[in-house]
Amino acid sequence: MTVAADKPRRTARTPRKGKDRVRKTSFTQALNGALDLAMEKHDEMFLIGEDIAEMGGDFGVTKGLLAKYGAERVRDTPLSEAAIIGTCAGAAMVGMRPVAEIMFADFIAECYDQVVNNVAKLHYMFDGQFTAPLVIRTACGGGFGGGPHHSQSIEGWFLNVPGIVIAAPSNPVDAKGLLLASIDSDDPVLFLEHKALYRSRAEVPPEYYTTPLGKASIAREGRDVTVVAAMRMVPMALEAAETAAADGISVEVVDLRTIRPYDATTVLASASKTGRVVVANEAPRIGGLGAELSARISEECFAQLRGPVVRVDGLDTPIPFSVPLENIVLPDSDNIAVAIKAAAQY
Amino acid sequence: MDTSTLKGLYRDMWLIRAFEQGLEREFEQGNVPGMLHTGLGQEATQAALAAHLEATDAFFPDHRCHGINALAQHRHGGNGERIMAELFGRATGVCSGKGGSLHSADPTVGNFGDNAVEGSYMATVLGVALAAKMRGEPNVACAIIGDGTVGRGEFHESLNMAAIWDLPVLYACVNNGYAISMPVGEGHATADIVELAKGYGIANQQVDGNDIVEAWTAVGDAVGRIRSGEGPYFLEFKTWRWQGIFAGEFRPEAEVKYWREERDPIMLAAEALAKRGATPAELDAIEAETRDLIEEWISFAKDSPAPDPAKATADVYAGWEVAAR
Ligand SMILES: Cc1ncc(C[n+]2csc(CCOP(=O)(O)OP(=O)(O)O)c2C)c(N)n1
Ligand SMILES: [Mg+2]
Repeated sequence: MTVAADKPRRTARTPRKGKDRVRKTSFTQALNGALDLAMEKHDEMFLIGEDIAEMGGDFGVTKGLLAKYGAERVRDTPLSEAAIIGTCAGAAMVGMRPVAEIMFADFIAECYDQVVNNVAKLHYMFDGQFTAPLVIRTACGGGFGGGPHHSQSIEGWFLNVPGIVIAAPSNPVDAKGLLLASIDSDDPVLFLEHKALYRSRAEVPPEYYTTPLGKASIAREGRDVTVVAAMRMVPMALEAAETAAADGISVEVVDLRTIRPYDATTVLASASKTGRVVVANEAPRIGGLGAELSARISEECFAQLRGPVVRVDGLDTPIPFSVPLENIVLPDSDNIAVAIKAAAQY
Repeated sequence: MDTSTLKGLYRDMWLIRAFEQGLEREFEQGNVPGMLHTGLGQEATQAALAAHLEATDAFFPDHRCHGINALAQHRHGGNGERIMAELFGRATGVCSGKGGSLHSADPTVGNFGDNAVEGSYMATVLGVALAAKMRGEPNVACAIIGDGTVGRGEFHESLNMAAIWDLPVLYACVNNGYAISMPVGEGHATADIVELAKGYGIANQQVDGNDIVEAWTAVGDAVGRIRSGEGPYFLEFKTWRWQGIFAGEFRPEAEVKYWREERDPIMLAAEALAKRGATPAELDAIEAETRDLIEEWISFAKDSPAPDPAKATADVYAGWEVAAR
């Protein structure tokens, strides 16, 4: 079953906040539920990472799973990121289905070789004799004063790596469905969990369902301007779309959901329809996701475009610690709203 | 060790030497693309390892392991020529020519493939071992590494994790004295790599890697202990590679002479066999047979077609197609 993204926009029928919390499931809980269902489904699955067992991980995503599945299948490790991913790769080569947690995405640099030179290439370089059905979950993104080593958007580090899948949910419903799809997949998935989204809530179906990898969703339909976004940029784009609507601009928001391989069909169709495109991206501009999308859209929708693709990105800096500075560096919904206006001029 | 076992290992060592020498000749003639690292001089270590690894085990070969790869393929698959074809980049190779010298794999014979980022499979081997342990299988996961790998972080992460989890890993460290041009004693805190294994509390043994009887006995003992659930084992083989560096020979003349003329593992094994009554004619016949076999493999490789062009974009993902140009 595929479930459409729950729209964060509040309506008159949305229950009050108190009740809301009782009925709705957080992004973190949705992920936890997905892991629980997958552990039940796949005997060959295990969880591995730092402080994920008793403690349930830095963000509580694996909470309670040790008690239910035991220490063989919920494994704490020392600070050995390369060994964690290597262990997943080797186990996957013999048919296991490991799910690793790398505490903060920034630390992926410690196992970059394992991901890029081993995991991503296993299937290709050995002529399809091995698959790498593993998932690397990791907490990415800024906006909480985490500083230069706990805030980065790392999808760009992997955009140029054939063989890896990058899943990037923007809401609890997709978080659960994409994680279950990632665990089912025979390809290795880098699963990005934006830290600012962990507390977002939605009505999440309790049962097992998957959200297909490689398929974007239309988070909001519109006629005049397309905004392409992922993760935290999606709620920001939806907010900016509201602002634009007040000015009479109808905005379509495409939620990529998978960054690699991304759903070019949906992106290009929306771009062709509106003829005006904004791509929103938290990471620095140069060589990032926005650059790829902008180039692709310009190349393939040139005849339908009414103006240049407008990019919204993070500034070309590391992420500073001080929150006022971080707010300058990271893009927000106001930046997207300005970009929508700029695109709408054409 | 009984004489027939020794004779079998002698044949294996010749198979490795003939393979590498045939390959060197073809490489020099421009028939083999890429880079070439040979296992010449290390035949005893390699034959000893290959002899004890079953098709149900998993080994990660290093960049000098064409010989082990070929022996595993020959013994467990009956098609050693597919390793040769892989090195020629042909369709009949074990990876259809997509892997080459540094990435030949065939899990059906226990070969889990080299990773040309030296030592990276020190991490990967943990997962294969963990899976065996979780499933209660008596399989050994073996990482064959050079002394140079000791400098990698993954070497240490691996020993630590194998130790805390009691994983069935056989570490086979081929200490041939140098990493390209870096002498082992200058590159590492100790020239005796077993000292590091001791620090991690891992059972270990230092072995004369040019003495086939000693090497074979040590591997058999280590593999037996691992299979019976005693956890990881670290073997350090003291040996020497005949190949210098790409630019040529850099090691002192006396050292080269000593290892090539007095410590040649095949010569030492021939002497041991002669003491047990083997005739020179018998030993010559073993050499000749293996050389003939290798020439057949080389012909097979040369006669094989190039890979299907569709292979260039095949298998990037299991679940997606990648567009051709
Ligand atoms: C991580 C990494 N660094 C550097 C290299 C380049 N390189 C290839 S072989 C080698 C030396 C390896 O020495 P050793 O492990 O002792 O093996 P030997 O060639 O002596 O058998 C180096 C530095 C590499 N392949 N991978
Ligand atoms: Mg060496």
